[in-house]
Amino acid sequence: MHFWTVKYKPKSLKEIIGNVEAIEGLVEWAKSWGKGIPKKRAVFVYGPPGVGKTVAVEALAHDYGMEFVEKNASDYRTEEAVNRFAGLASQYGSLYGGKRIILLDELDGLTGSSDRGGVKAITDVVKGAQCPVVLIANSAYDPRFSSLRSYCLLIEFKKPTAGEVAKRLKVISEDEGIHADEAALKFIAQRSGGDVRSAVNDLQALGQGKAKLTYEDVSWLGYRDRQDSIFNVLRMILYGKTCASAKQATNMADVDTDMLFEWIYENVPAHFSDPHDLAEAMDALSIADVYRGRIRATQDWGFMRYVVDYMTAGVALARKNTKTSGWIPFKFPERIQMLSRSRAERAMRSSIGAKIKKKNHISAKRASKEIIPYLKIIFRNNAEMAAGLAKWLDLDREMVEHLVGSEEKAGTIIELMV
Amino acid sequence: MSFEMWAEKYRPKTLSDIVDQKDIVERLKSFTKSRNVPHCIFAGPPGTGKTTAALCLAKDLYGGAYKEHMLELNASDERGIDVVREKVKTFARVRSIGEIPFKIMILDEADNMTSDAQQALRRTMERYTETCRFIMCANYSGRIIEPIQSRCAPFRFAYLPREAHDSYLKEIGEKEKVKLSSEGLDAVFEICGGDLRKAINTLQSAASLGKPVDAKVIYSITGKASPADVQKMIKVAMDGDFLEARRQLRDMIQKYGVAGSDVIRQIHTEIFKAELPEQWKIKLADIVGEADFRLVEGADEEIQLSALLARLVEVGCDFRKGR
Repeated sequence: MHFWTVKYKPKSLKEIIGNVEAIEGLVEWAKSWGKGIPKKRAVFVYGPPGVGKTVAVEALAHDYGMEFVEKNASDYRTEEAVNRFAGLASQYGSLYGGKRIILLDELDGLTGSSDRGGVKAITDVVKGAQCPVVLIANSAYDPRFSSLRSYCLLIEFKKPTAGEVAKRLKVISEDEGIHADEAALKFIAQRSGGDVRSAVNDLQALGQGKAKLTYEDVSWLGYRDRQDSIFNVLRMILYGKTCASAKQATNMADVDTDMLFEWIYENVPAHFSDPHDLAEAMDALSIADVYRGRIRATQDWGFMRYVVDYMTAGVALARKNTKTSGWIPFKFPERIQMLSRSRAERAMRSSIGAKIKKKNHISAKRASKEIIPYLKIIFRNNAEMAAGLAKWLDLDREMVEHLVGSEEKAGTIIELMV
Repeated sequence: MSFEMWAEKYRPKTLSDIVDQKDIVERLKSFTKSRNVPHCIFAGPPGTGKTTAALCLAKDLYGGAYKEHMLELNASDERGIDVVREKVKTFARVRSIGEIPFKIMILDEADNMTSDAQQALRRTMERYTETCRFIMCANYSGRIIEPIQSRCAPFRFAYLPREAHDSYLKEIGEKEKVKLSSEGLDAVFEICGGDLRKAINTLQSAASLGKPVDAKVIYSITGKASPADVQKMIKVAMDGDFLEARRQLRDMIQKYGVAGSDVIRQIHTEIFKAELPEQWKIKLADIVGEADFRLVEGADEEIQLSALLARLVEVGCDFRKGR
């Protein structure tokens, strides 16, 4: 399985979302190399992650047929390392002007004292460059870059608007054969805060393999706000090699233990394809759940540590035969969706249960579970008996409607009650 | 046909109306004769007459005004320690006026009380023994803390035997003018397994269809949890499709409100009917039994049952490999 961020990476400048002015500036500068070496031999492209800085430079090279040379953080650890590619920049320029473009990516990655030498070396390369050089960083205003900056044309990439991101998501989902609601895509786009890469990742996680993507399917993205995304936590648990690493994941999770349990429970089957491993992993969840039952029975929350042991380490260590193959998306716990949908329904059931309790020696809880199913059958099949029971139990119209499942039939029963 | 819940309408009114659980009834009658009742635990599965026996005892003891001398509390709805402190104490400490110097407190579903609440209850029981006797009804006496157990006379209720089950249902059928075939009775017993409340509810809802009640009607109304569906789910699991089996399970539990204990009982029945080598059946029985045991202690039915399904997937896989 491919990452959609790779599959749908823009190849041409036309496909890039937003940042129209920035791209125009970039193109203009690149073209100016055709008329000899410009005043500013390098551009310094800066902006937040995932807005298309690197992609824009690659697309520029593609559109104008330039040879593309890319270097990143590991290549400028020391002055020596920089000198190794400095030669590239100083050659051929006069001969084939504009036919090569050099990208120095991830300048933010320069840290420590030796790198300071690195910045100086890069500045020297820029000063003597015989071909276009592009520097990329999240921020151009880091004090370390102050001297370097003065030799560069500064171009800022801004976050695209949610509307622009949503448009791109629409193109991708159409291509993947997913019928996606506008609201769903808009929501993913907004949540991404202009980070196109993470928006596309989310779209893949939520939509891959589906024919339809609704707002309900995506609305839970709100859950993964603050800390590490739940996906990372799940990866650490489901693919943990040791007890410690799997257990540690719970500290990073931004959801409570019950919610994390649901995430694990939902995703275990897809990630443990070997039947023996699956049975063991589910067994671990079953034991974790037994401890939850013990907490409930005793109100002793000290048992929680065993719940965590089994739902994390117990699950992780169940993996013996399953081979890790390809990219398997994580799914939002379906049970939680069902529960939130049926909240109103449960409230209704418990108020009917309370009515039943008054007349039958049984708890409201058990009544709603054990008696209501029978009442539903009676209410749907025998209006006369239903009316009698409704009267006996003192049910109101809404309750009758709930039991009979239609307003019209409820009307008939209510009439018979009088 | 009348318009109450039949399970309530035909609940025995006095100890003599209870046709089964003979030993228990005899002992309870001796209490009413001597006009003294110890603290009791009525333990046993649902629908076997625990609450009924407690209510009948109170009626036989106090006669018409029994409600003044008796309080029924349901621990499932009011399981906290505060309820025990307030309601139970207020009721227990006031001396009863009348010939019998104590009141009766029926605590239904007492095994659902937290252990803190049970500790508080234990002190209340001790302190007000003179003025109040407790009858604790529970599915599992093991969930009642030891100090309470040791203060109570234990009574073990069992599922109704077939004859008693049939005689209750036939009598109701006659009084309500419902035609009930013997195959229909078989089906009710297979589904309800001696849980009389469930059996009567099943009968009443089947009768609401206005047709003679036969096996087909019974299976059609118990609907989504008929043996055929459980059978199908087992097959899907044994064939290796865990996700589909879990989806079917989820439908049964969440959409149709089938109790987990019923699903497990049906799985148990189905296993011995399945076309499997004999040794496999007993191996599976152990797996089902373990799941059943955990279901009692666990918090979530779907988790426990789907862990069982995963075991069935595993067994199915081994079976195909001929291990």
